[in-house]
Amino acid sequence: MPRRVPLARRQLLQDRRRAVLAVAGVAAALVLVLVLNGVFAGATRQVTAYIDTSPADVFVAQAGVRTMHMSITALPDDTVARVRSVDGVAWAEPLRYTTGVVTKGDRSIITYVFGYDTQAGVAGPRELSSGSAPGAGEAVVDESAASELAIGVGDTVEILGTPLRVSGLSVNGTNIVNTTVFLDTEQFTALRGPGTNYVLAGARAGVGADELASRIAAAVPDATVQTRAAFSDQESRIVRDMATDIMSIMTIIGFLIALAVVALTLFTSTLAKLRDFGVVKALGGTNPRLAKDVVAQAIWTIALAAATAFVLSLGLGAALAALTPNIRIVIEPVSVARTAAGALVIGLIAAAIPLRRVVRIDPASVFRSAQ
Amino acid sequence: MTMTAIIDPRTASAASITVRGLNKTYGEGDLAVHAVRDIDLDIKAGEVVLVMGPSGSGKTTLLLMLGAMLRPTSGAVTIDGIDLAAAPERLLPKLRARHLGFVFQDFNLLGALNAVENVEIACNLAGVVGNAAHERSRALLERVGLGQRLRFRPDQLSGGEKQRVSVARALANDPAVILADEPTANLDSSHGHDIARLLRHLATDDGRSVVIVSHDERLKEIADRVLWLEDGGFRELSNMATDPICGMSVTADPNTTLHAHRDGQTWWFCSTACRNEFTSRDPEAAADVPHETSGEPDPPHDERTAR
Ligand SMILES: Nc1ncnc2c1ncn2[C@@H]1O[C@H](COP(=O)(O)OP(=O)(O)OP(=O)(O)O)[C@@H](O)[C@H]1O
Ligand SMILES: [Mg+2]
Ligand SMILES: [Zn+2]
Repeated sequence: MPRRVPLARRQLLQDRRRAVLAVAGVAAALVLVLVLNGVFAGATRQVTAYIDTSPADVFVAQAGVRTMHMSITALPDDTVARVRSVDGVAWAEPLRYTTGVVTKGDRSIITYVFGYDTQAGVAGPRELSSGSAPGAGEAVVDESAASELAIGVGDTVEILGTPLRVSGLSVNGTNIVNTTVFLDTEQFTALRGPGTNYVLAGARAGVGADELASRIAAAVPDATVQTRAAFSDQESRIVRDMATDIMSIMTIIGFLIALAVVALTLFTSTLAKLRDFGVVKALGGTNPRLAKDVVAQAIWTIALAAATAFVLSLGLGAALAALTPNIRIVIEPVSVARTAAGALVIGLIAAAIPLRRVVRIDPASVFRSAQ
Repeated sequence: MTMTAIIDPRTASAASITVRGLNKTYGEGDLAVHAVRDIDLDIKAGEVVLVMGPSGSGKTTLLLMLGAMLRPTSGAVTIDGIDLAAAPERLLPKLRARHLGFVFQDFNLLGALNAVENVEIACNLAGVVGNAAHERSRALLERVGLGQRLRFRPDQLSGGEKQRVSVARALANDPAVILADEPTANLDSSHGHDIARLLRHLATDDGRSVVIVSHDERLKEIADRVLWLEDGGFRELSNMATDPICGMSVTADPNTTLHAHRDGQTWWFCSTACRNEFTSRDPEAAADVPHETSGEPDPPHDERTAR
């Protein structure tokens, strides 16, 4: 397209201080929105980390139990065998589960306690940053809980009221709600007695997770069978239910601040330039031509602010991650897209009021003296 | 580059502005102001017409109607063969952008744009874009002697330079008609003279019609015709006199008190203030002047109405 004089950009940059303040103000408001969404997304990911990283395609729990957090589940001991016999199941492993506290001295942290078959390994920690899988009298503790309790491999901690030696440290197992420790099945049974809490199952190649879940559900009708995605989604509701109200309130406040800043700066800068708009009209500029100019100024402000906010949020996320491992900020593309779209709507709303003034200018007015 | 490459000189005979039975009334009923009354006017291509007249006589109103910015109450205004009064409202911006050039009293340059962009945006509005618009704007600024000021912003230009940018802008769409309202009022006399000569050239060299509304006596030098507007209508110019105090053109109207006698001659003034200043310089002349207390013009004096 052939070049035209970029009046909108020139007008926006004419008063640099005003432009910088507007962009900074809007960016600050958008950072609020992005970071809040990022904290929410980070918390959600941490809470579902065990499920999301599990190699299992399907999770089986007691009938009616759809989550781990705050759940009690018990399955008949023959459940594992029944799941294994379902066509399409590559493997099935039991998982012992309870909640408790992990204590060192006078410090303690709420924790999930998992018991798993260290031979099969599939239900255990995905990754150890040091040490090895737990044996008798041992436990694997999450590294960020370990650093909070100031312990390392070889130290002793109290889990479910019993002192156990730390055999290794796992990763990504601590979130804003709790941490995780892993025992082997025998140790778990020694502390809590025999039983089965969940059953994890993997699909044979070519069998989809949904298909597998429905086959298992048919074979084990007295249990609740969910795919990994469904189980993770249920689990993330813990965070969503806690955070949704505050999140939406803060998001609305963030957008309102952005709206106020854009609207106010655009309004004052347009008022200051009414005569310029009158001149453009006198020279033959139409209302749509001027409307485009005002809207373009709003969009430029928003676009610059959104880009600034995006970079700032990433920086803030990195800084926060360095300061505290338990709060993670995850800036998701969806959240960025949604925030940008919201900001755009705000820009258009903000342009509406000055637009009305611009449309009403009489081009003849520029022949009267400026006063 | 010579200007002939950019501007086609027009045939210097055809009337490029025709005004017939033009009227403008602002407001209605008791508040109605009949600002322009039954004006007929023909302006030829290449002609400079200066419209003068007291404040409130309808000069700007007339210019706005010539400029497609104000709808006449009745009558016709034809420019470049197009009847502005009959054109639909939505076409008026386009008519202004394509057929008319404007020069304003307070320059009205866009402060956010530099000199060349101020001209270029008028090219854009006239439908010329891209490099063609840029080159044309440069050439126009060179023509008005601002080839060295292309990137200057209005706040970096002197008054005379600003007005030259605005003349270049008025030429952006190569208009048949240039309308100027008080183009020299904000300039000192030497810069005013430059602008006057420039406007004269636009008529003589390019064959444009130039209509200037002004109180500035100096513009008479460049005008082919001077029209005196009063109470919305043109008056005979033989009735005109020059205020010896401020130099404004005024009507030699014996029905007002705005005159004084000295050395057997009658002097006419724009206001009682100017007349008072005149008489205070020469006490002898004061005898002929009725006493008054307010600054407003007096009602007709008994003595004179009796005569
Ligand atoms: N928009 C308007 N509404 C009502 N009356 C108006 C309007 N514009 C002008 N007038 C009146 O019309 C008359 C002519 O005004 P106009 O501005 O054309 O005068 P002018 O000759 O340009 O005066 P000046 O030399 O002071 O610029 C004046 O009495 C003025 O008050
Ligand atoms: Mg006027
Ligand atoms: Zn005077």
